[in-house]
Amino acid sequence: MSTATTPSDPAQLRAWLHAAARHDGAAFRSLYDASSPKLYGLALRILGRPELAEEVLQDSFVAIWHGAGSYESGLSAPMTWMTTIVRNKAFDLLRRTRLDVEIDGEPFDATVLEALRDPQATPIESLQMSSDAKALASCMSVLEEKHREVIGMAFFHDLSHTDVARQLVLPIGTVKTWIRRSLARLQDCLKGRGVA
Amino acid sequence: MKLRGNETLRERLASAYVLGTLRGGARRRFEGLMHDDAALRRTTHEWNERLGAMAEFVSARQPGAHVWRAIERRLDLRPAARWAAWRSGSLAFWRTLAVASSAVAALLLLNVTAFQDQAPVVNDVATLANEQAQAAVVVTADRERKLLRVRVLAAAPLTPQQVLQLWAVSRGGQPRSLGLLASGSELTLPLPAGAIGDDVAMLAVSLEPAGGSPDPKGPSGPILYKGSWVNVL
Repeated sequence: MSTATTPSDPAQLRAWLHAAARHDGAAFRSLYDASSPKLYGLALRILGRPELAEEVLQDSFVAIWHGAGSYESGLSAPMTWMTTIVRNKAFDLLRRTRLDVEIDGEPFDATVLEALRDPQATPIESLQMSSDAKALASCMSVLEEKHREVIGMAFFHDLSHTDVARQLVLPIGTVKTWIRRSLARLQDCLKGRGVA
Repeated sequence: MKLRGNETLRERLASAYVLGTLRGGARRRFEGLMHDDAALRRTTHEWNERLGAMAEFVSARQPGAHVWRAIERRLDLRPAARWAAWRSGSLAFWRTLAVASSAVAALLLLNVTAFQDQAPVVNDVATLANEQAQAAVVVTADRERKLLRVRVLAAAPLTPQQVLQLWAVSRGGQPRSLGLLASGSELTLPLPAGAIGDDVAMLAVSLEPAGGSPDPKGPSGPILYKGSWVNVL
């Protein structure tokens, strides 16, 4: 299998997805090799338990194979399309099993966290992620740290305002305001960068 | 809730929906609104593209080698066994070809192009599997045109007195019939409002007498395949 391509090269991922839609098993294997570490990391972040994260990864790739024919490259970045599938599957499992996942601090990778805190010291450009994710990281680096934490916690742990407030020991009104303002700021920032 | 024309509220709800903070009844109501509002679906899709990239902020981790082996087994991908899956998966292609083969080559090209232009929009995919986790039925939902497309991949053989019936089962355990399926085929069914969304816990296929389950409240025969929706927007 080729490992020469960076895992987050969207053109390559898109090509493999289109080939998988034509039932090309070898291309599908390459897609799996390139994207599964990130997707497994996501499932593990949400579920906290390797055996469940592997089950979700497996189910997700079955869905990716069957859904590849419907993937529209003009509408969705390939990595976002796949991470949406994994995130939804993982949340679905959480809700079905009413699993109690321990929420242990920071949802982001340590290097990503450093780049978000201080993009001068750790350039966002150097991170191993798609250009869409880098654009989002740049815009999130401008938010206050606490606000970023609230957004990340809600995104990765399928939490309500009340749950986030309880986790971070904050008044619910504060959480609601922070989330609303942060999302509006992210939208403005990304529009300003010509993304979405 | 007056949503039309209230751009700020539309953006706020769509972003909360994607982030996950829109919950319970409000979340289900929002899905109901999206069902009839293409612009709202687009706004939500844009938010998913914006915030979805956050999924890449996690640390990459190598899954065990058995995960790929299981995927390969479930999808029948190993080279020796691939022909069958490939052939059934390409049924639509062969049909197009069979229709076109009597016509001239130029027409074939035209057909193929037209086919691609009208490719269905898929918002949700469900893979229904048997107890051995082998995929038997794939259901896709096109929210735009309110259609369900059902592809029977490898169903157990049926007698003329038997049919397969597709159900959406709510979280409260209420089944709702989506239609009858013929074995080994593809078909398109109308997409009713309660067939997708957060309230649907799973889809199931039951074995029924000709004409479908005599019980309007649910299946009368055994459940052969089941699976849940995954939203692909």
